[in-house]
Amino acid sequence: MLWKDKYELGVPVIDAQHKELFKRVESFLQILRSGDSWDEKVPKINETLEFMKKYVVEHFRDEEEYQRNINYPRYEAHKQIHDSMVNYVQDVSKQYEQSNNNEYLMQQFGGKLLAWLINHVAAEDQLIADYAIKKGMRDNDR
Amino acid sequence: MIDKLYRAFVNATHNVFNLMLSITEISDHPTEDFKCDDEVDIAVGIVGDLYGEVIYRFPVSTSLNMVNIMSGMQFNTVDVFVISAVSEIANIISGNVLTALSDSNVKCDILPPVQCKPYEDKEYEMKTSCCISTTIGDICLVIKLNRAS
Ligand SMILES: [Fe+2]
Repeated sequence: MLWKDKYELGVPVIDAQHKELFKRVESFLQILRSGDSWDEKVPKINETLEFMKKYVVEHFRDEEEYQRNINYPRYEAHKQIHDSMVNYVQDVSKQYEQSNNNEYLMQQFGGKLLAWLINHVAAEDQLIADYAIKKGMRDNDR
Repeated sequence: MIDKLYRAFVNATHNVFNLMLSITEISDHPTEDFKCDDEVDIAVGIVGDLYGEVIYRFPVSTSLNMVNIMSGMQFNTVDVFVISAVSEIANIISGNVLTALSDSNVKCDILPPVQCKPYEDKEYEMKTSCCISTTIGDICLVIKLNRAS
């Protein structure tokens, strides 16, 4: 399983979304790395990719809203990290579409997505929780 | 300065391995200890007050172990997925170093990681390297930088 309990922030809404995001990325990676031929995998890959793209945007939006609600001081910098990831995802999927479902592009995307997501949730997002705890705002959520 | 850079890279590698791979035992040694037949070499360019590059030399076995831990899946060969994942780790470590340096007023940016060959004879004002040992294998870092005048 991709998700680890140590990633938990103690903010129920965000934790639930992170778990869901990890679940979606995990099923994307499982299809991406399965032994079937690429042509066989393409329909499932495209489906999970579309799902994930939407989910990433929704989750970032909710997480940013939470940061604004607690007056998180690193909000702008954090939003910039989110925005540049969204841009990257959109660029890759555009290239992927134009290339007629090129496997190399998706494998490259999968590797970066895996490392990016783990670091983002284990390090960057953890700073939000640290701040919320310091301010005693973690339990009342929003 | 060079000692500070060396330390900053070793510390950042330590933190990233701890957070992302749950590996806590890390030690650094002179590069002579680094032995490796087949490796994935990633260069991260640096621009700003300091400019040059940092080369991350990941042995194949270290690279595969890193990706296996992150994904919970079994990777047996280095392919574009593995290269992309370890490139992102090199990117994250370098980014953390620059954030640490910006606290001491050294302003730099990093360029996207690229796969490279580790050998190159250009002269640099500051050059150092280290071998970092972890429970999933060694890594060698080569830091080559000039000061912007
Ligand atoms: Fe985030």
